[in-house]
Amino acid sequence: MKASLALRDIERRAWLRTFEHGLWDIAVGLLLLLFGVSILTELYWIPAVWVPLAVPGLRDLATRLVVPRLGHVSFRRKRQRSTLRVRIILTVLAAAGLGMFLLVGWSTRAEAPMVVTWVRSHMLAVIGLVWGAALIAAGWSADYPRLYLYGTMVFGTMLGSDLGCAYDMGEALVGVGALIAGIGAVLLARFVRRYPRNPNQEVYRV
Amino acid sequence: MSSSEDADRVEIDRIIHEPARLLVTAHLYVVESADYVFLMQNTGLTWGNLSSHLSRLEEAGYVEILKEFVKRKPHTMVRLTDEGRRAFDAYRRQMKALFADLPDEGGD
Repeated sequence: MKASLALRDIERRAWLRTFEHGLWDIAVGLLLLLFGVSILTELYWIPAVWVPLAVPGLRDLATRLVVPRLGHVSFRRKRQRSTLRVRIILTVLAAAGLGMFLLVGWSTRAEAPMVVTWVRSHMLAVIGLVWGAALIAAGWSADYPRLYLYGTMVFGTMLGSDLGCAYDMGEALVGVGALIAGIGAVLLARFVRRYPRNPNQEVYRV
Repeated sequence: MSSSEDADRVEIDRIIHEPARLLVTAHLYVVESADYVFLMQNTGLTWGNLSSHLSRLEEAGYVEILKEFVKRKPHTMVRLTDEGRRAFDAYRRQMKALFADLPDEGGD
């Protein structure tokens, strides 16, 4: 039995284990990938379908794969608050996306202020900034450092697109999304190997 | 002075002090509640070992074992009671006090 007895380490290790399965990485990666596909195919409804499918799907996968291996834990109030913050950040992100669509519509009118016109002309960089910042903020709030990397990747891709780099934004999003989902798949495979199902467990729940 | 008098002077909670139980209690201290699999994964104890240590902690009133049924199958959650939290806090204070007066490493 070798384990650190520093209480903070114990709590953080237990918390980080709940991200070790890579399912969140797969979800974020697939969302970006589908955004890319929707841009390439001009079928803009595709990402909107993903969210209602992914949430119950992830829950079901967690019940079947994660809980029998890691068990069930209810964290203390501080962690519960950080989960709530992530939800708020993602809600704000969705609202910001809607706001940008409205902004684009408004900026086509002649009386739109200069700043709105500027945002419209650098829309890709602004979207990248919002998405990247949201991922980094979610990573900070959930104490989940991999989201910093994903946020930076998304911002870099969109900024490059905005500055006229020689790649299409749709293709770039497909690439970044596939890479993140791939990282998630590797993590999931490693997780399943590392943590076999426990034969003594009675019943699992999320 | 007899050895039992020595033991009385050092007021260490022997229920928590046992290494496996200390690990279990420390894990339960930092979360709200957890099930057996979580505790096994995080402490490295076997099912039987964990079960016996939890029984001991339950007898002392330090943990509460909550048995529930999910889809007609049993599921067990464990949480530290208020008494258990107080005992763990007291144990931390005792251990801090115990080591605070020791000389630096090497006895200098």
